[in-house]
Amino acid sequence: MKYVPFILKHLRRNWIRTSSTVMAMAVCIFLFCTLQTFIKAVTWNLQSANASRLVTRHNVGLIFPLPLAYEARIEAVPGVKRVSILSWFGGYRDINKRTEFFPNMAVEPETYLAMYPEYLIPEDQKQAFFRDARGCIVGRDTAKNFHWKIGDTVQLESFIPTYRIGKPFEFVVDGVYDSDPVRYPGTDLTQMFFKYKYLYEATGRQVQAGTYTIEINDPNQAGAISKTIDSLFENSDAQTHTETESAFRAGFTSMIGNLTLLLNGIAIAVMFTILLVTANTMSMAVRERRTEIAVLKTLGFPSGLVMGLVLGESLVLGALGGTVGILLGSFMIKALPHLPFIGDAVRGFPNLGMSFFVGGLGMAVALFLGVFAGFVPASLAYRARVTELLRQI
Amino acid sequence: MATMATEIGTAAATVNVQNVRKVYHRDSQEIVVLDGINLSVPQGEFVALMGPSGSGKTTLLNLIAGIDRPTSGSVIVADTNVATLSEGALAKWRSHNVGFIFQFYNLIPVLTAVENVALPLMLSPLSGKQRRERALTALKIVGLADRSQHYPKQLSGGQEQRVAIARAIVTDPKVLVADEPTGDLDAKSAEEILNLMQTLNQEFKKTIVMVTHDPRAAQRAHSQKHLEKGVLLKG
Repeated sequence: MKYVPFILKHLRRNWIRTSSTVMAMAVCIFLFCTLQTFIKAVTWNLQSANASRLVTRHNVGLIFPLPLAYEARIEAVPGVKRVSILSWFGGYRDINKRTEFFPNMAVEPETYLAMYPEYLIPEDQKQAFFRDARGCIVGRDTAKNFHWKIGDTVQLESFIPTYRIGKPFEFVVDGVYDSDPVRYPGTDLTQMFFKYKYLYEATGRQVQAGTYTIEINDPNQAGAISKTIDSLFENSDAQTHTETESAFRAGFTSMIGNLTLLLNGIAIAVMFTILLVTANTMSMAVRERRTEIAVLKTLGFPSGLVMGLVLGESLVLGALGGTVGILLGSFMIKALPHLPFIGDAVRGFPNLGMSFFVGGLGMAVALFLGVFAGFVPASLAYRARVTELLRQI
Repeated sequence: MATMATEIGTAAATVNVQNVRKVYHRDSQEIVVLDGINLSVPQGEFVALMGPSGSGKTTLLNLIAGIDRPTSGSVIVADTNVATLSEGALAKWRSHNVGFIFQFYNLIPVLTAVENVALPLMLSPLSGKQRRERALTALKIVGLADRSQHYPKQLSGGQEQRVAIARAIVTDPKVLVADEPTGDLDAKSAEEILNLMQTLNQEFKKTIVMVTHDPRAAQRAHSQKHLEKGVLLKG
């Protein structure tokens, strides 16, 4: 510890170089943490996917609906336990204020909730939801975010043309669901579910089903059952594509390409660049101080200690850059959903926020980059012979 | 180590250089810098090493200071044959036994005078407060106690060299080696530095080996040794 002030004084010597290196490191860690947070957000909901649940959608794409008649035929497939319609509603409290995004879906409450034991909701609230034609349940986070209480009447207006009926839909909050993060990690607590029947009636019985969520008896039969379901509608206008819930969610994610690979690629490229920048800074710092290294060794500082001091400087650069980067990243991730354009893209990610894990990983990367960048100049300082260094004075 | 020194019959000498040869290799060429040097500096002696450039003065000084090793021969300083020590042991030995004064002072620019002086004490188990007290005492000896918080760039050349001398004596070493300590100073400052070195020799009984080109500086020493082409001249 007694060498820390010595290290800090050296870093203050050329404060422009030190601060620019710290900022470069900070930008690297900021990008790393932000990208890792997005990767985590993108892949987060895959954790909650259940192997015994399948999703059937239109073969062409998610925006194409499926006939309601399919439900009974799917239900009749051997091995299928229950089926529920799920239609993305795309509702907003204020259609002109899309920054308040949250997922809201029309479902068939009895079957849908039976398939999702992870949504923990008191029995009385569940029954109230089943009884109430305009009823809805919301996740704890959304209820907290909008200050919604049980019994509140809320209005949502959809941006999807089919669901626009000239006035907002009115819902009554019948329940607030929660989850057990240990038993059911990745459960989204920002969603709202209401009755498909309400949507169907309010739109003049014109709408079809967005997707079908299916629960099967044996997860090992998922492949065979999916094939059977799709073969039922092979010759119809609306052919289907059935897959496991996790495959469906992963596919949803991969609609924008292999995002994880891309983001990780960017992170690695940035880290490599910063490694070179920091290594260059440390090399210059050591080169400038050849005389001082000679003096330290002459005074009796062992080569290992001199190497340690150089590595220490590099480590402090890493730690400072890491701290600033993590703070920047944390601030930016909170601010992103409120920014124009980019906010629309990121608002859909549930639980977007830098986790301790990502922050810790960012700091570990910063410290690693610091030590790694300082290693070559430090070992040069270690090996340097005093007489050779003094001869260059 | 004491036994080793006694064996060669120079127990009273603080510095004892015996048959030292130093050879450098450049490509396939062999350059003999020191050839068969024998030098004995008794305790409390002030010796000036003189000679033209390239005669091997600094190399000999470096061998005595333990920052270089002879190709052959022995260099016994403060009862230790420094040629036989490992790098780590040599560094530790230097920190206890030798104070080095450079021509260009070589103070650390980001440290204050007192911090520069306290630098060698960082290797000791002393507390921060004890280190500071000792450094201030050393600065008092060289007459710069009032400049303890000044940075090197805020000091004159002579003052910088005095801080460097304080740094050299702060660990209370047995031997002080100085490589052209007045070479970068004006006449007045050089005079002050030589007075200080004389004081250290006479009052604090430090053994001093000083390399110099300056005959006036050499006159302050008890004895003068002349080197030429790597050989110590007699007389």
